[in-house]
Amino acid sequence: MDRAAKDKALLDRIGIDQIARNQRARRRGQLGLGLVFMAPALIMVVGVLLVPVLFNIWLSFTKWRKFTGFGEYAGFANYERMPSNPFFNEALINTAIWVGASVVFPIALGLGMAMFFRNLRGAETFKNIIFIPRILAPTAVGVLWFYVYAPDGLLNRGLGLVSGRDVDIGWLYNDATVTPAIIATFVWQTAGLVMVLLLLGLAAIPKDPIEAAHIDGANRWQIFRYITLPLLMPTLLMVTILSVLAGFTVFDLLWVMGANYPGQRSLALAVFMYFEAFQKGSWAFGSAVAVIIGLVVLCVTWFQTVLQARVDRMTR
Amino acid sequence: MAFDISTLDLDAIERREAAKNKGTALKLVAAIGFALLWIVPFYFLAISIFKSSNEYSRNPPLALPEGLAPFWDNVARAWELGSMGQAMMNSAFYGTVGASLAVFFAAMAAFAITRLDIPFRNGWFILIFAGTVFPFQMYLIPLFFGYQKLGLLNSHMGMLLFYTAICVPFPTLVLRNFMSGLSREMDEAARMDGANEFTVFFRIILPNTIGPMTAVFLLQFTWIWNDMLFSTVLGNRLETRSIMNALLVFQGSYSSIGPNIVLTAALLASLPSIVLFFLLRRHFMQGLQVQQS
Amino acid sequence: MKLKGKLMGTAVGILLAAAPAFAQEVQLFHDKGFWSEQLQTVGDAAGEATGVTITETPYANAEQYKAFVQASIASGETPDMFTWWTGATFAELVSSGQIAPLDDLWAEMIANGGYGEASKELFMVDGQAYAVPLLLARWVVLYNKPLYAELGLEEPQSWDDLIANADAIVAAGETPFLATVHEGWRGFIWFQELLLRMHPEAYNGLNDGSVAYDGPEVRAVFEAWSDMYAKGYFSDPRSTEEFNDYVRGAGAMYLIGEWAAGLVVEAGVPADDLGVFIMPNAVEGAPAAVIVEGAPLVVSVDGAQDENVMQALRFWVSDEGANAWGEATGNYIGNNSAEAPNAIVAEVNADIAQTGATAYLRWWEAVPPDLQGELVAEMNRFMLDPTMETADEVMATMQSLNAAYWADQ
Repeated sequence: MDRAAKDKALLDRIGIDQIARNQRARRRGQLGLGLVFMAPALIMVVGVLLVPVLFNIWLSFTKWRKFTGFGEYAGFANYERMPSNPFFNEALINTAIWVGASVVFPIALGLGMAMFFRNLRGAETFKNIIFIPRILAPTAVGVLWFYVYAPDGLLNRGLGLVSGRDVDIGWLYNDATVTPAIIATFVWQTAGLVMVLLLLGLAAIPKDPIEAAHIDGANRWQIFRYITLPLLMPTLLMVTILSVLAGFTVFDLLWVMGANYPGQRSLALAVFMYFEAFQKGSWAFGSAVAVIIGLVVLCVTWFQTVLQARVDRMTR
Repeated sequence: MAFDISTLDLDAIERREAAKNKGTALKLVAAIGFALLWIVPFYFLAISIFKSSNEYSRNPPLALPEGLAPFWDNVARAWELGSMGQAMMNSAFYGTVGASLAVFFAAMAAFAITRLDIPFRNGWFILIFAGTVFPFQMYLIPLFFGYQKLGLLNSHMGMLLFYTAICVPFPTLVLRNFMSGLSREMDEAARMDGANEFTVFFRIILPNTIGPMTAVFLLQFTWIWNDMLFSTVLGNRLETRSIMNALLVFQGSYSSIGPNIVLTAALLASLPSIVLFFLLRRHFMQGLQVQQS
Repeated sequence: MKLKGKLMGTAVGILLAAAPAFAQEVQLFHDKGFWSEQLQTVGDAAGEATGVTITETPYANAEQYKAFVQASIASGETPDMFTWWTGATFAELVSSGQIAPLDDLWAEMIANGGYGEASKELFMVDGQAYAVPLLLARWVVLYNKPLYAELGLEEPQSWDDLIANADAIVAAGETPFLATVHEGWRGFIWFQELLLRMHPEAYNGLNDGSVAYDGPEVRAVFEAWSDMYAKGYFSDPRSTEEFNDYVRGAGAMYLIGEWAAGLVVEAGVPADDLGVFIMPNAVEGAPAAVIVEGAPLVVSVDGAQDENVMQALRFWVSDEGANAWGEATGNYIGNNSAEAPNAIVAEVNADIAQTGATAYLRWWEAVPPDLQGELVAEMNRFMLDPTMETADEVMATMQSLNAAYWADQ
């Protein structure tokens, strides 16, 4: 039998519907089974996390009436309130400061410490000591440092000893010092993690280019700048992403340490949102602020993902 | 490579070695000094818990305690007034059950994404991972009202549900990456022998993933233990409070009984994390490596 | 082993679920965690006397509590019995329509002789009473009797007396007044008192939009306040241990609610060493006045239909209930036929009976709730830097917030 006749016989036997069905089944593959495996994770994430996000976005376009609830459509009214709210503007500026500081200081300090401790005797012990603050809860760290910064507390006494005069600065009470003080605590807590991650990254750098440069007469700074740093880029980028997100979502420290500071609500957008929603009961406005926070975080994350893909391509 | 020793300037070499050693010694001293400065707050914590309220306010912060006796009184008051026992049990429950469930669900999902033949693999993964993309603030208000409506506010199940859900996305990422790297020979062999997918999952994939699973379990357990915000909003009442929430309430309502007691409370609340870290340091560090990938 | 564990767990679960059905109990929601034990004492006393136990159910902080109550009411599940605040926020609560009027109960309470019409007024909205007192606290000055005796000082009868006492205390190397910004709400205490003593006519106007926060009356208050700080009359506002500070003598006089007397004694001051007087007026011939804080106990519309809830409520306001509460905390609820909870309250009662002082609602309750947090933060800001410069900024901020609020009404 020739080819055409064979094919025809095959089609007659099985039937074109059956073949189409088989094709579809093959494309679906094991979707049913896959869904069974993915079901718990999907239900959890979609039900408990993603649906609330959608609800939050909807809420931000409504008006809340105390004791009667949501549902009254208000358009962009909540968003229009933001620029004219002095506390919102200050919170926005402070959040920007936090993001900048949470990238620059932990990385600078972490990188410095990583390079410094790398080849030292007892590096493991140093690593652990610097890292320990990271495993503590931000709440506990906040409580501890609240008393370090107290007017008659550790820092003022220490400064007094060093300078010989009585030091009585209200670190957590003055406008000028409150954010830097809490940033310092944040750096104390996170520099250890940054250092460990950078050490891992440094360990992955091949030694040959460095030795070759050494032999060619390059000094330490040049080696660092032209060889180590570029090879460390992927790790640095990842650390930057983590730091930016951490800086945006700082809450516990601000909540605990800023408790007696009159302007607590303007310490960061996250705190402002909590005050508006839970203290003043402006739920709809609070959701709008949350949406703003979400938008900014998403933009930053997207931007850095793009950057990371570029860097990955470069280093390959 | 052979070379003539007589051409070496041994004195210069000796001087350079000595300089390098001194440099290293100086570095070591500086490092020790820096490390000591770094842990001064811990030292402060350690001596404050041994002071009575009057002692604390009378003496300078770094003064050594006059005796060890006030410690037990501080612990007793912090434990009782802060209801730490109940809070620790709550957090331990949320942490162990929540993180275990989350990691298990994540493993199942990662298995489906990497090993089963499903369309839109990446899409499903992104759907699950989208759970971590949004900042916490976007979950707060809807969850508060939703829980209130469903009667889940201030309930153990409600808190457990939330903690499990929020701890699913990250392990899914880690385990997906890990499982894609696992060789497929074992599954193929098992499938040839007629094993169904469940058997493959439980008998082959899972046992080989224990390492990363433990590492992410530890990370997620720590996150749950350290959580303060969601417990404050969703589970504020005494019966369901987490340990950090209890600490916050203690510092807010009872700070007037003295910083020494509040600091003792902070230490008590952190003890489990510290113990866990020292026991399982290796796994923690491993967890960091998976976080990096 | 596993199966046995499961069976045990189920059995325990069933028992626990069935337990409440056996005892009659009513839940009292509140946010005053520091009184949990004491509330439970009264709750147990109620159980013994009437068979209905009141179970106190605390919320950790005021915001969470408010959020919880608002959300519950919005979803139609108002708690049966809970505490709230008087003033503008009380009116808001009543307007939700979910709170039961209690005029009948008040008629009983007044007829029994223990309560006066004046107490009822604090809890009235539009002519109807909607709550009974959880506590009725006058804001007074607690003072260090031994120090006064040592310096030969008498309780001040006029503002000049008060200043003279303060000067004498400063001359002796002590600090006259104790005041902090701890917990973020205390800033209004001295603000309201100074305003009432210096410009009583403007006190109520502040909270209905007719008096400006940067007007002459408020300016006079800040000038006097700033002057007092300059003369060293006040203790360090940054302290976080007010009661302990009082015990350690950080301030000879402590302007605070009556309820603090019990807490200060608990912190270590011998009860006999504690004296009390009501702040004198700064304006000659002005009528006697005192600032009063009333915390209401409300029941929901459904709760008022429930026999158990009403029985618990009746016990609370009865002599027995008032005595139990007074004994546990030193709190006064306005029941004059019950025993005075402590010597401080007794003396204040006598004082007020003698001078016929008018009661003014505390600023904290009278201020519109939307403004409360932001305005008190400004007052705290002043206390931390008590110069006239800061006062100018503070007044400007407060007025802009105030004006914006009233413009929206």
